[in-house]
Amino acid sequence: MKLKWSGVAVLAICASAAHAQSSVTLYGAIDSGLVYQSTTASSFAPTAHNNGHVFAFKDGSIYASFWGIKGTEDIGGGYKVNFRLQGVFNSGTGKLGLADTTGGTAVFNQQTTIGISGPFGTFDAGRQYTPMIYAMADTDVRAAQYFGSILGAWLGVNQAAGWPGTNTNVPIGALYDSNALVYQSPKFYGSSLALEYAPGGVPGQIQGGTRESAVLRYSNYGLNLSAVYYNAHDTNLAAATPTGLDNNRLYYFGAKYTFHSVSVSASYGIGKNPSNTSQADYELISGGLGYQFTPFFKITSGFYYLKDRNNSANHSSEYAVGAEYSLSKRTIVSAQVGYVANRGTMNQTIVYGQPVAPGVSTTAAMIGLRHSF
Amino acid sequence: MKTMNGLRVALGIAIVVASISAWAQDGASAAASAGTAVTASGGMTTKAVRQANRALRRKVYAALAKHKEIDAGDISVTAKGGAVMLNGTVPDALQINTVVEVAKGVEGVTSVTSKLTVQRPFGQ
Repeated sequence: MKLKWSGVAVLAICASAAHAQSSVTLYGAIDSGLVYQSTTASSFAPTAHNNGHVFAFKDGSIYASFWGIKGTEDIGGGYKVNFRLQGVFNSGTGKLGLADTTGGTAVFNQQTTIGISGPFGTFDAGRQYTPMIYAMADTDVRAAQYFGSILGAWLGVNQAAGWPGTNTNVPIGALYDSNALVYQSPKFYGSSLALEYAPGGVPGQIQGGTRESAVLRYSNYGLNLSAVYYNAHDTNLAAATPTGLDNNRLYYFGAKYTFHSVSVSASYGIGKNPSNTSQADYELISGGLGYQFTPFFKITSGFYYLKDRNNSANHSSEYAVGAEYSLSKRTIVSAQVGYVANRGTMNQTIVYGQPVAPGVSTTAAMIGLRHSF
Repeated sequence: MKTMNGLRVALGIAIVVASISAWAQDGASAAASAGTAVTASGGMTTKAVRQANRALRRKVYAALAKHKEIDAGDISVTAKGGAVMLNGTVPDALQINTVVEVAKGVEGVTSVTSKLTVQRPFGQ
Protein backbone atom coordinates (compact mmCIF):
# COMPACT_ATOMS: atom_id res chain seq x y z
CA MET A 1 0.00 0.00 0.00
CA LYS A 2 2.77 2.34 1.02
CA LEU A 3 4.55 1.49 -2.19
CA LYS A 4 1.44 2.18 -4.21
CA TRP A 5 0.96 5.63 -2.74
CA SER A 6 4.59 6.55 -3.26
CA GLY A 7 4.17 5.42 -6.85
CA VAL A 8 1.19 7.73 -7.26
CA ALA A 9 3.15 10.57 -5.67
CA VAL A 10 6.06 10.06 -8.06
CA LEU A 11 3.66 10.04 -11.01
CA ALA A 12 1.96 13.18 -9.78
CA ILE A 13 5.30 15.00 -9.38
CA CYS A 14 6.49 13.87 -12.79
CA ALA A 15 3.25 15.00 -14.38
CA SER A 16 3.40 18.45 -12.81
CA ALA A 17 7.09 18.81 -13.70
CA ALA A 18 6.43 17.85 -17.31
CA HIS A 19 3.55 20.25 -17.49
CA ALA A 20 5.60 23.13 -16.09
CA GLN A 21 8.43 22.42 -18.52
CA SER A 22 6.22 22.50 -21.57
CA SER A 23 4.52 25.76 -20.67
CA VAL A 24 7.04 28.14 -19.07
CA THR A 25 10.84 28.26 -19.04
CA LEU A 26 13.02 30.43 -16.85
CA TYR A 27 16.36 31.18 -18.52
CA GLY A 28 19.22 33.66 -18.58
CA ALA A 29 22.91 34.17 -17.93
CA ILE A 30 25.23 35.79 -15.43
CA ASP A 31 28.36 37.27 -16.93
CA SER A 32 30.99 39.09 -14.89
CA GLY A 33 34.47 40.29 -15.71
CA LEU A 34 37.41 42.45 -14.84
CA VAL A 35 38.42 45.15 -17.27
CA TYR A 36 41.41 47.42 -17.69
CA GLN A 37 41.09 50.42 -19.99
CA SER A 38 43.77 53.02 -20.72
CA THR A 39 41.39 56.01 -21.11
CA THR A 40 37.92 56.77 -19.79
CA ALA A 41 35.29 59.47 -20.01
CA SER A 42 32.27 60.17 -17.88
CA SER A 43 29.95 60.53 -20.90
CA PHE A 44 29.72 60.01 -24.67
CA ALA A 45 30.02 63.77 -25.26
CA PRO A 46 32.41 64.52 -28.19
CA THR A 47 34.36 66.90 -25.94
CA ALA A 48 34.44 64.65 -22.86
CA HIS A 49 37.54 64.92 -20.68
CA ASN A 50 39.99 62.01 -20.50
CA ASN A 51 39.69 60.74 -16.92
CA GLY A 52 42.69 58.42 -17.33
CA HIS A 53 42.96 54.65 -17.00
CA VAL A 54 40.59 52.47 -15.06
CA PHE A 55 40.52 48.98 -13.57
CA ALA A 56 36.98 47.83 -12.84
CA PHE A 57 34.50 45.05 -12.27
CA LYS A 58 32.35 44.88 -15.39
CA ASP A 59 29.07 43.20 -16.24
CA GLY A 60 29.02 41.44 -19.61
CA SER A 61 32.25 39.94 -20.99
CA ILE A 62 30.43 38.20 -23.86
CA TYR A 63 26.86 39.55 -23.57
CA ALA A 64 24.94 41.24 -20.77
CA SER A 65 23.73 39.38 -17.71
CA PHE A 66 20.02 38.83 -18.22
CA TRP A 67 17.09 36.68 -17.26
CA GLY A 68 13.79 35.88 -18.84
CA ILE A 69 10.65 33.84 -18.84
CA LYS A 70 9.28 32.32 -22.02
CA GLY A 71 6.39 30.09 -22.82
CA THR A 72 4.64 28.37 -25.67
CA GLU A 73 1.16 27.00 -26.03
CA ASP A 74 0.35 24.65 -28.88
CA ILE A 75 -3.10 25.62 -30.12
CA GLY A 76 -3.25 22.94 -32.81
CA GLY A 77 -3.08 23.00 -36.59
CA GLY A 78 0.64 23.79 -36.44
CA TYR A 79 0.02 27.09 -34.65
CA LYS A 80 1.57 28.18 -31.37
CA VAL A 81 1.10 31.12 -29.06
CA ASN A 82 4.42 32.37 -27.69
CA PHE A 83 5.37 34.90 -25.06
CA ARG A 84 8.68 36.18 -23.76
CA LEU A 85 9.67 38.55 -20.96
CA GLN A 86 13.39 39.35 -20.80
CA GLY A 87 15.58 41.98 -19.20
CA VAL A 88 19.19 42.67 -18.32
CA PHE A 89 20.60 43.20 -14.86
CA ASN A 90 24.06 44.36 -13.83
CA SER A 91 25.90 41.44 -12.23
CA GLY A 92 28.12 43.86 -10.31
CA THR A 93 25.41 46.04 -8.78
CA GLY A 94 22.08 44.29 -9.38
CA LYS A 95 20.78 47.34 -11.19
CA LEU A 96 18.29 47.06 -14.06
CA GLY A 97 18.95 47.94 -17.69
CA LEU A 98 18.07 51.02 -19.74
CA ALA A 99 14.56 51.70 -21.01
CA ASP A 100 13.58 53.72 -24.08
CA THR A 101 13.24 57.03 -22.23
CA THR A 102 16.21 58.96 -20.90
CA GLY A 103 17.37 57.95 -17.46
CA GLY A 104 14.66 55.30 -17.08
CA THR A 105 15.15 51.60 -16.40
CA ALA A 106 12.82 48.67 -17.00
CA VAL A 107 12.58 45.20 -15.48
CA PHE A 108 12.03 43.65 -18.90
CA ASN A 109 14.02 46.15 -20.95
CA GLN A 110 14.91 43.66 -23.71
CA GLN A 111 11.73 41.86 -24.65
CA THR A 112 8.07 41.82 -23.71
CA THR A 113 6.39 39.98 -26.55
CA ILE A 114 3.25 38.05 -27.25
CA GLY A 115 2.87 36.41 -30.64
CA ILE A 116 1.82 33.57 -32.86
CA SER A 117 3.93 31.21 -34.92
CA GLY A 118 2.82 28.76 -37.56
CA PRO A 119 3.29 27.71 -41.17
CA PHE A 120 3.11 31.40 -42.18
CA GLY A 121 6.15 32.28 -40.05
CA THR A 122 6.37 34.11 -36.73
CA PHE A 123 4.64 37.25 -35.55
CA ASP A 124 5.60 39.01 -32.30
CA ALA A 125 4.19 42.18 -30.78
CA GLY A 126 5.76 44.31 -28.05
CA ARG A 127 9.19 45.58 -27.07
CA GLN A 128 11.78 43.39 -28.73
CA TYR A 129 15.14 43.08 -30.45
CA THR A 130 15.02 44.60 -33.91
CA PRO A 131 15.58 42.21 -36.83
CA MET A 132 18.64 44.29 -37.84
CA ILE A 133 20.67 43.32 -34.81
CA TYR A 134 20.33 39.59 -35.53
CA ALA A 135 21.39 40.31 -39.12
CA MET A 136 24.49 42.08 -37.79
CA ALA A 137 25.33 39.33 -35.30
CA ASP A 138 24.99 36.73 -38.11
CA THR A 139 27.57 38.47 -40.24
CA ASP A 140 30.19 39.28 -37.60
CA VAL A 141 32.72 36.62 -36.56
CA ARG A 142 32.66 38.30 -33.13
CA ALA A 143 28.86 37.82 -33.10
CA ALA A 144 27.97 41.37 -31.94
CA GLN A 145 29.42 40.59 -28.50
CA TYR A 146 29.98 43.14 -25.76
CA PHE A 147 33.73 43.42 -26.29
CA GLY A 148 35.02 44.78 -29.63
CA SER A 149 32.35 43.81 -32.16
CA ILE A 150 29.89 45.12 -34.74
CA LEU A 151 27.62 46.06 -31.82
CA GLY A 152 30.17 48.50 -30.38
CA ALA A 153 30.98 49.80 -33.87
CA TRP A 154 27.33 50.52 -34.65
CA LEU A 155 26.92 52.15 -31.23
CA GLY A 156 30.04 54.19 -32.04
CA VAL A 157 28.13 55.61 -35.01
CA ASN A 158 25.28 56.46 -32.63
CA GLN A 159 27.61 58.14 -30.13
CA ALA A 160 29.00 60.24 -32.99
CA ALA A 161 25.42 61.09 -34.00
CA GLY A 162 24.70 62.42 -30.50
CA TRP A 163 23.35 59.44 -28.54
CA PRO A 164 23.98 60.18 -24.85
CA GLY A 165 23.95 56.49 -23.81
CA THR A 166 21.17 57.06 -21.28
CA ASN A 167 18.30 55.48 -23.24
CA THR A 168 17.79 52.77 -25.87
CA ASN A 169 16.22 55.19 -28.34
CA VAL A 170 19.30 55.67 -30.56
CA PRO A 171 19.60 58.02 -33.58
CA ILE A 172 20.79 55.39 -36.11
CA GLY A 173 19.06 52.00 -36.26
CA ALA A 174 17.94 50.32 -33.04
CA LEU A 175 18.87 47.42 -30.81
CA TYR A 176 15.39 47.23 -29.24
CA ASP A 177 12.18 48.87 -30.39
CA SER A 178 9.18 49.45 -28.13
CA ASN A 179 5.61 48.84 -29.32
CA ALA A 180 6.93 46.95 -32.34
CA LEU A 181 5.17 44.47 -34.62
CA VAL A 182 7.65 42.05 -36.20
CA TYR A 183 6.93 39.42 -38.83
CA GLN A 184 9.53 36.75 -39.60
CA SER A 185 8.94 34.60 -42.68
CA PRO A 186 9.78 30.91 -42.77
CA LYS A 187 12.99 29.98 -44.54
CA PHE A 188 12.82 29.26 -48.24
CA TYR A 189 15.99 27.51 -49.49
CA GLY A 190 17.88 29.30 -46.72
CA SER A 191 16.37 32.76 -47.41
CA SER A 192 14.06 34.60 -45.06
CA LEU A 193 12.54 38.04 -44.66
CA ALA A 194 11.75 40.02 -41.52
CA LEU A 195 9.48 43.07 -41.51
CA GLU A 196 8.98 45.47 -38.63
CA TYR A 197 6.51 48.26 -38.01
CA ALA A 198 6.14 50.19 -34.77
CA PRO A 199 3.33 52.74 -34.60
CA GLY A 200 4.40 55.99 -32.98
CA GLY A 201 1.36 56.64 -30.84
CA VAL A 202 1.80 60.39 -31.23
CA PRO A 203 -1.56 62.23 -31.11
CA GLY A 204 -2.39 64.10 -34.31
CA GLN A 205 0.47 62.53 -36.28
CA ILE A 206 0.45 59.37 -38.33
CA GLN A 207 4.26 59.35 -38.85
CA GLY A 208 5.40 60.75 -35.51
CA GLY A 209 7.58 58.28 -33.63
CA THR A 210 7.10 55.41 -36.11
CA ARG A 211 9.77 52.87 -37.05
CA GLU A 212 9.90 50.45 -39.93
CA SER A 213 12.52 48.01 -41.10
CA ALA A 214 13.09 45.18 -43.54
CA VAL A 215 15.81 42.56 -43.23
CA LEU A 216 16.67 39.95 -45.83
CA ARG A 217 18.79 37.03 -44.70
CA TYR A 218 20.31 33.99 -46.33
CA SER A 219 21.83 31.10 -44.42
CA ASN A 220 23.07 27.93 -46.13
CA TYR A 221 26.20 26.36 -47.66
CA GLY A 222 28.28 27.76 -44.80
CA LEU A 223 27.36 31.28 -45.89
CA ASN A 224 25.34 33.93 -44.05
CA LEU A 225 24.27 37.00 -46.00
CA SER A 226 22.19 39.86 -44.70
CA ALA A 227 20.78 43.14 -45.99
CA VAL A 228 19.19 45.67 -43.64
CA TYR A 229 17.00 48.69 -44.23
CA TYR A 230 15.95 50.56 -41.10
CA ASN A 231 14.02 53.83 -41.03
CA ALA A 232 12.46 55.75 -38.16
CA HIS A 233 10.92 59.05 -37.23
CA ASP A 234 11.69 61.16 -34.16
CA THR A 235 14.25 58.79 -32.66
CA ASN A 236 16.80 59.90 -30.08
CA LEU A 237 14.10 61.84 -28.26
CA ALA A 238 16.45 63.06 -25.54
CA ALA A 239 15.64 66.70 -26.30
CA ALA A 240 12.92 66.83 -28.94
CA THR A 241 9.17 66.55 -29.11
CA PRO A 242 7.83 64.38 -31.96
CA THR A 243 7.46 66.23 -35.27
CA GLY A 244 7.08 63.27 -37.64
CA LEU A 245 10.52 64.03 -39.07
CA ASP A 246 12.21 61.09 -40.80
CA ASN A 247 15.53 61.25 -38.95
CA ASN A 248 16.98 57.74 -38.60
CA ARG A 249 18.13 55.51 -41.43
CA LEU A 250 20.54 52.61 -41.62
CA TYR A 251 21.62 50.45 -44.54
CA TYR A 252 23.77 47.44 -43.78
CA PHE A 253 25.13 44.57 -45.87
CA GLY A 254 27.10 41.74 -44.32
CA ALA A 255 28.50 38.29 -45.05
CA LYS A 256 30.09 35.52 -43.03
CA TYR A 257 31.58 32.30 -44.37
CA THR A 258 32.52 29.21 -42.38
CA PHE A 259 34.78 26.55 -43.88
CA HIS A 260 36.30 23.81 -41.74
CA SER A 261 37.33 25.60 -38.53
CA VAL A 262 37.78 29.03 -40.10
CA SER A 263 35.20 31.81 -40.20
CA VAL A 264 35.57 35.09 -42.05
CA SER A 265 33.17 38.02 -42.12
CA ALA A 266 32.84 41.43 -43.72
CA SER A 267 30.22 44.15 -43.71
CA TYR A 268 29.45 47.66 -44.89
CA GLY A 269 26.90 50.07 -43.48
CA ILE A 270 25.67 53.63 -43.87
CA GLY A 271 23.86 55.45 -41.08
CA LYS A 272 22.38 58.88 -41.53
CA ASN A 273 19.70 61.41 -40.73
CA PRO A 274 17.79 61.44 -44.04
CA SER A 275 16.11 64.77 -43.21
CA ASN A 276 19.41 66.48 -42.56
CA THR A 277 22.51 64.57 -43.67
CA SER A 278 24.76 67.40 -42.49
CA GLN A 279 23.79 66.37 -38.94
CA ALA A 280 24.59 62.69 -39.29
CA ASP A 281 26.14 60.75 -42.16
CA TYR A 282 28.44 57.88 -41.26
CA GLU A 283 30.05 54.85 -42.80
CA LEU A 284 30.85 51.58 -41.06
CA ILE A 285 33.18 48.87 -42.38
CA SER A 286 33.99 45.64 -40.59
CA GLY A 287 36.09 42.53 -41.09
CA GLY A 288 36.45 39.42 -38.96
CA LEU A 289 38.52 36.24 -38.76
CA GLY A 290 37.98 33.37 -36.34
CA TYR A 291 39.37 29.92 -35.73
CA GLN A 292 37.76 27.11 -33.76
CA PHE A 293 40.70 25.11 -32.41
CA THR A 294 38.60 22.48 -30.64
CA PRO A 295 34.88 22.31 -29.90
CA PHE A 296 35.76 23.97 -26.57
CA PHE A 297 38.22 26.64 -27.63
CA LYS A 298 38.09 29.40 -30.21
CA ILE A 299 39.81 32.67 -31.03
CA THR A 300 37.96 35.40 -32.89
CA SER A 301 39.22 38.74 -34.13
CA GLY A 302 37.63 41.75 -35.73
CA PHE A 303 38.39 45.10 -37.32
CA TYR A 304 35.87 47.95 -37.20
CA TYR A 305 36.25 51.23 -39.06
CA LEU A 306 33.95 54.25 -38.70
CA LYS A 307 34.02 57.37 -40.82
CA ASP A 308 32.17 60.68 -40.60
CA ARG A 309 31.25 61.60 -44.17
CA ASN A 310 30.63 65.22 -43.13
CA ASN A 311 34.06 65.71 -41.58
CA SER A 312 37.03 63.57 -42.64
CA ALA A 313 38.88 64.43 -39.41
CA ASN A 314 36.47 62.18 -37.52
CA HIS A 315 37.25 58.49 -37.94
CA SER A 316 37.88 55.46 -35.78
CA SER A 317 39.69 52.12 -36.25
CA GLU A 318 39.29 49.32 -33.79
CA TYR A 319 40.95 45.91 -33.50
CA ALA A 320 39.78 43.24 -31.08
CA VAL A 321 40.91 39.70 -30.37
CA GLY A 322 39.28 37.30 -27.94
CA ALA A 323 39.77 33.73 -26.75
CA GLU A 324 36.82 31.78 -25.41
CA TYR A 325 37.10 28.47 -23.61
CA SER A 326 34.03 26.43 -22.66
CA LEU A 327 34.46 24.90 -19.20
CA SER A 328 31.14 23.10 -19.70
CA LYS A 329 28.08 23.33 -21.90
CA ARG A 330 26.89 26.32 -19.90
CA THR A 331 30.04 28.09 -18.74
CA ILE A 332 32.55 30.07 -20.78
CA VAL A 333 35.75 31.79 -19.65
CA SER A 334 37.14 34.47 -21.91
CA ALA A 335 40.16 36.74 -22.31
CA GLN A 336 39.98 39.64 -24.75
CA VAL A 337 42.20 42.50 -25.88
CA GLY A 338 41.22 45.52 -27.93
CA TYR A 339 42.73 48.68 -29.34
CA VAL A 340 40.90 51.64 -30.81
CA ALA A 341 42.36 54.68 -32.58
CA ASN A 342 39.68 57.39 -32.27
CA ARG A 343 40.33 60.59 -34.19
CA GLY A 344 38.54 63.93 -34.19
CA THR A 345 35.44 63.67 -32.02
CA MET A 346 35.01 59.90 -32.46
CA ASN A 347 34.68 57.78 -29.31
CA GLN A 348 34.02 54.20 -30.47
CA THR A 349 34.17 52.03 -27.34
CA ILE A 350 35.95 48.71 -26.93
CA VAL A 351 33.83 47.49 -24.01
CA TYR A 352 30.04 47.94 -24.12
CA GLY A 353 28.93 50.71 -21.74
CA GLN A 354 32.50 51.75 -20.86
CA PRO A 355 33.10 55.17 -22.50
CA VAL A 356 36.58 55.99 -23.84
CA ALA A 357 38.10 59.46 -24.20
CA PRO A 358 37.25 60.93 -27.64
CA GLY A 359 39.93 61.61 -30.26
CA VAL A 360 42.70 59.51 -28.70
CA SER A 361 43.86 55.91 -28.80
CA THR A 362 42.65 53.50 -26.14
CA THR A 363 43.62 49.96 -25.18
CA ALA A 364 41.45 47.60 -23.15
CA ALA A 365 41.79 44.09 -21.80
CA MET A 366 39.15 41.97 -20.13
CA ILE A 367 38.74 38.57 -18.55
CA GLY A 368 35.30 37.19 -17.85
CA LEU A 369 33.17 34.27 -16.74
CA ARG A 370 29.73 33.63 -18.23
CA HIS A 371 27.26 31.02 -17.02
CA SER A 372 23.99 30.39 -18.84
CA PHE A 373 20.98 28.88 -17.17
CA MET B 1 52.10 52.56 -28.22
CA LYS B 2 55.01 50.56 -29.66
CA THR B 3 54.39 47.67 -27.31
CA MET B 4 50.73 47.75 -28.25
CA ASN B 5 51.60 47.58 -31.94
CA GLY B 6 53.88 44.66 -31.14
CA LEU B 7 51.13 42.91 -29.28
CA ARG B 8 48.71 43.42 -32.15
CA VAL B 9 51.18 42.12 -34.66
CA ALA B 10 51.96 39.11 -32.46
CA LEU B 11 48.29 38.27 -32.05
CA GLY B 12 47.73 38.72 -35.76
CA ILE B 13 50.63 36.41 -36.55
CA ALA B 14 49.42 33.85 -34.02
CA ILE B 15 46.03 33.67 -35.68
CA VAL B 16 47.46 33.54 -39.18
CA VAL B 17 49.95 30.82 -38.24
CA ALA B 18 47.22 28.83 -36.55
CA SER B 19 45.02 29.03 -39.61
CA ILE B 20 47.86 28.22 -41.99
CA SER B 21 48.92 25.16 -40.04
CA ALA B 22 45.33 24.05 -39.96
CA TRP B 23 45.02 24.50 -43.69
CA ALA B 24 48.25 22.67 -44.26
CA GLN B 25 47.11 19.78 -42.11
CA ASP B 26 43.87 19.69 -43.95
CA GLY B 27 45.59 19.68 -47.32
CA ALA B 28 47.77 16.77 -46.26
CA SER B 29 44.89 14.64 -45.05
CA ALA B 30 42.87 15.54 -48.13
CA ALA B 31 45.70 14.31 -50.31
CA ALA B 32 45.95 11.14 -48.26
CA SER B 33 42.28 10.37 -48.52
CA ALA B 34 42.26 11.26 -52.21
CA GLY B 35 45.01 8.67 -52.58
CA THR B 36 42.92 5.98 -50.94
CA ALA B 37 39.92 7.03 -52.96
CA VAL B 38 41.89 6.47 -56.16
CA THR B 39 42.78 2.92 -55.19
CA ALA B 40 39.33 2.19 -53.89
CA SER B 41 37.45 3.46 -56.89
CA GLY B 42 39.81 1.78 -59.30
CA GLY B 43 41.60 4.75 -60.88
CA MET B 44 39.30 7.73 -60.38
CA THR B 45 41.31 10.85 -61.10
CA THR B 46 41.97 13.36 -58.33
CA LYS B 47 39.73 15.80 -60.15
CA ALA B 48 36.85 13.34 -60.30
CA VAL B 49 37.30 12.58 -56.59
CA ARG B 50 37.16 16.29 -55.77
CA GLN B 51 34.05 16.71 -57.87
CA ALA B 52 32.38 13.79 -56.12
CA ASN B 53 33.31 15.29 -52.72
CA ARG B 54 31.86 18.65 -53.68
CA ALA B 55 28.67 17.04 -55.01
CA LEU B 56 28.18 15.15 -51.75
CA ARG B 57 28.80 18.34 -49.79
CA ARG B 58 26.06 20.10 -51.78
CA LYS B 59 23.68 17.19 -51.21
CA VAL B 60 24.16 17.44 -47.45
CA TYR B 61 23.49 21.20 -47.53
CA ALA B 62 20.40 20.65 -49.68
CA ALA B 63 19.14 18.13 -47.10
CA LEU B 64 19.82 20.60 -44.26
CA ALA B 65 17.89 23.33 -46.10
CA LYS B 66 14.74 21.24 -45.75
CA HIS B 67 14.96 21.68 -41.97
CA LYS B 68 13.86 25.28 -41.60
CA GLU B 69 15.05 25.58 -38.01
CA ILE B 70 18.67 24.90 -39.01
CA ASP B 71 20.90 27.81 -40.07
CA ALA B 72 23.31 25.97 -42.34
CA GLY B 73 25.11 29.24 -43.01
CA ASP B 74 26.85 28.70 -39.66
CA ILE B 75 27.81 25.12 -40.51
CA SER B 76 30.74 23.90 -42.56
CA VAL B 77 30.16 20.60 -44.36
CA THR B 78 33.08 18.89 -46.09
CA ALA B 79 33.25 15.44 -47.64
CA LYS B 80 36.09 13.06 -48.39
CA GLY B 81 34.89 9.90 -50.01
CA GLY B 82 31.72 9.19 -48.08
CA ALA B 83 33.10 10.65 -44.85
CA VAL B 84 31.44 13.92 -43.90
CA MET B 85 32.99 16.42 -41.48
CA LEU B 86 30.80 18.99 -39.74
CA ASN B 87 32.22 22.21 -38.23
CA GLY B 88 30.65 25.42 -37.04
CA THR B 89 27.87 26.31 -34.65
CA VAL B 90 24.21 25.66 -33.88
CA PRO B 91 22.06 27.74 -31.51
CA ASP B 92 20.84 24.81 -29.44
CA ALA B 93 22.52 21.59 -28.24
CA LEU B 94 19.60 19.48 -29.52
CA GLN B 95 20.32 20.65 -33.07
CA ILE B 96 23.75 18.97 -33.10
CA ASN B 97 22.04 15.59 -33.18
CA THR B 98 19.53 16.74 -35.82
CA VAL B 99 22.28 17.97 -38.13
CA VAL B 100 24.29 14.75 -37.70
CA GLU B 101 21.21 12.60 -38.39
CA VAL B 102 20.28 14.63 -41.48
CA ALA B 103 23.83 14.26 -42.82
CA LYS B 104 23.80 10.50 -42.12
CA GLY B 105 20.54 10.17 -44.03
CA VAL B 106 22.03 11.57 -47.24
CA GLU B 107 22.71 8.93 -49.89
CA GLY B 108 26.43 8.29 -50.28
CA VAL B 109 27.38 9.35 -46.77
CA THR B 110 29.20 6.53 -44.99
CA SER B 111 30.28 8.32 -41.80
CA VAL B 112 29.77 11.66 -40.07
CA THR B 113 32.24 13.38 -37.76
CA SER B 114 30.82 16.31 -35.83
CA LYS B 115 32.85 19.14 -34.38
CA LEU B 116 29.74 21.30 -34.06
CA THR B 117 29.49 23.54 -31.03
CA VAL B 118 26.65 25.46 -29.44
CA GLN B 119 26.61 29.22 -29.80
CA ARG B 120 23.53 30.71 -28.21
CA PRO B 121 21.73 33.12 -30.52
CA PHE B 122 22.24 36.83 -29.98
CA GLY B 123 20.31 38.04 -26.94
CA GLN B 124 19.59 34.63 -25.44
